[in-house]
Amino acid sequence: MTKTYAEINEKIKNGNVVVVTAEEMIKIVEEKGITVAAEEVDIVTTGTFGPMCSSGAFLNFGHADPPIKYEHLWLNEVHAYHGNAAADCYIGCTRMADVRPFEYGGGHVIEDLVAGKPIRIRGNSYTTDCYPLAEVDTELTIKDLNQAILCNPRNAYQRYVCAVNSSDRTLYTYMGKLLPRFGNAHFAGAGALNPLTNDPDYETIGIGTRIFLGGGIGYIMGEGTQHSPKSRFGTLFLKGDLKQMTSEYLKGVTYPKYGTSMFVGVGIPIPILNEGLAKKTAISDNEVLTDVVDYGIPRRDRPILRQVSYKELKSGFVELNGKFIKCSSLSSIFYARKIAETLKKWIKNGEFLLNPPAETLSTETICKPLKQISELKFVKDLKKKAIICYDDCDIKIVAEKIIQNNMNHIVITNRAKILLGIVTSFDITKALAQNKTELKEIITKRVVTASDNDPIEIAARKMRNNNISALPVIDDNKKVVGIITSEELM
Amino acid sequence: MTVINVTLPLELIKDINDYSKIINDILKHDISFNVLKFSIISSGVTLLLDVPDDKIEIITEALEENNAIINKKGRVKIDFENCIDCGACVALCPTDALYMNSENRLEYTEERCMACLLCVDSCPRSAIKEE
Ligand code: SF4
Ligand code: SF4
Repeated sequence: MTKTYAEINEKIKNGNVVVVTAEEMIKIVEEKGITVAAEEVDIVTTGTFGPMCSSGAFLNFGHADPPIKYEHLWLNEVHAYHGNAAADCYIGCTRMADVRPFEYGGGHVIEDLVAGKPIRIRGNSYTTDCYPLAEVDTELTIKDLNQAILCNPRNAYQRYVCAVNSSDRTLYTYMGKLLPRFGNAHFAGAGALNPLTNDPDYETIGIGTRIFLGGGIGYIMGEGTQHSPKSRFGTLFLKGDLKQMTSEYLKGVTYPKYGTSMFVGVGIPIPILNEGLAKKTAISDNEVLTDVVDYGIPRRDRPILRQVSYKELKSGFVELNGKFIKCSSLSSIFYARKIAETLKKWIKNGEFLLNPPAETLSTETICKPLKQISELKFVKDLKKKAIICYDDCDIKIVAEKIIQNNMNHIVITNRAKILLGIVTSFDITKALAQNKTELKEIITKRVVTASDNDPIEIAARKMRNNNISALPVIDDNKKVVGIITSEELM
Repeated sequence: MTVINVTLPLELIKDINDYSKIINDILKHDISFNVLKFSIISSGVTLLLDVPDDKIEIITEALEENNAIINKKGRVKIDFENCIDCGACVALCPTDALYMNSENRLEYTEERCMACLLCVDSCPRSAIKEE
């Protein structure tokens, strides 16, 4: 059995097209089998609504009188990129407002624009003979713009990882707030409802595919940046006319201590051209797998702890080392479903036709890491010998060691060199002033540590964040193997 | 019911008698309340008490007489207008006061909130506020 785009569009026009959502397709294939499902169903709709940092919009304001060529430009105090012709700009959703960073950003500007709210435009220029105006300060709404084009270089990841945190402090990341010692788990994406998951070989998805974007109609421009089909991390480059979108599906967000972003609603219709597509669109959460990744390790290649299905993720708990960790989504499953339903309604009402892509997405692209010219240095390269005292030693001996070695930090361990604490020269001075004589009264037990394979940058950030100047270096068994101080980092 | 956060500073309780006196000073008013959390931190003992609204004053007085430090903690309020049902707060809530219903929309059961405030700085829409 095969169908063509033309046949399906004919059915849409006649009002007898059969459209179901990706979730409904699972049941249909289960009950009727692939052959019948492929026969009966013409289109499967998908949807996702989550934070998509690579999003933004091109805006054109029209010319002022006299004209201005903006050098710097702010929309509601959010700096826009202006490296194009005189009156064009790009507002990116992760750019934060100069005055209220971590509260308001480019994503909020786009949401406000689409909601019809007035936006303050402030710009300046070095002036030229053809563009003599030096400053603009005005207010406008989306209606006043010539073009407002949503243009997102990387959206709708095929799947995303599930994030946990093994470290001993709370992390604020683009994967949300991650509690220490595996306190919670977060995942993103809609699993079986996700657009690319339902056409993983990109048979029907490519340049020019008409889609649901931000509550209006949009198009796929091609593969997104960092498109990585072989690892099933495909992405999409999307565009659409902002003027016909709604703020329900474009929401500015801000992740505390991370920054701003935007939730984007994306829905793609998959035409059931053959039985293969019927089978692929019947994929269930059980079959969509991803990795549980430890964000406690601040490296590009973070440790993968296990594989997990979206079914388990959506159950509210993931199992890790025999323990059940509370797990929740960062993207809205409610809205993902609503998008798939809305797209289904549009098609049923004959308001949305399908089109074959001019070219399907690449299944070969490889995503490379950044080429770094300077060599990455690690703690093990720069650490020095730690000066160690045992926990039963006298304060006086600690003081002597500080003088002898000209070191500010003495590491306290037991006889097996397992880290117990740290004492600084200031602690000794304080002990003297307060008449304390026992080492255990002055030792700091909560010690921030580093390990041999931490990049130097990470050790430096730990010192900065904790306002300290040294980190004992320990191995997996907490045995002290050195110390790194701010001096080595200079 | 309102949640109050009581800190008994380290110097205040040297032994079990000090502790009993403080609790007895509350109990003599014949009030029933829930202890949501009892924890020992470096600065002393902290208690999260869930107290009937009309008894807050008496309890506060009884505790303050004993030099306990009181910090009234409101439970959180959710601004559903701004909530986008993402779920970023759900896995952080230790008591399931925040949870997703069968339609995957956020629900909030105020009575279950113990004012730990872990969720407040997790919301990308700033829709969770301490009361
Ligand atoms: S304050 Fe704590 S208990 Fe209350 S809703 Fe937030 S996370 Fe749950
Ligand atoms: S994190 Fe905020 S927006 Fe997301 S579900 Fe919770 S309250 Fe709603």
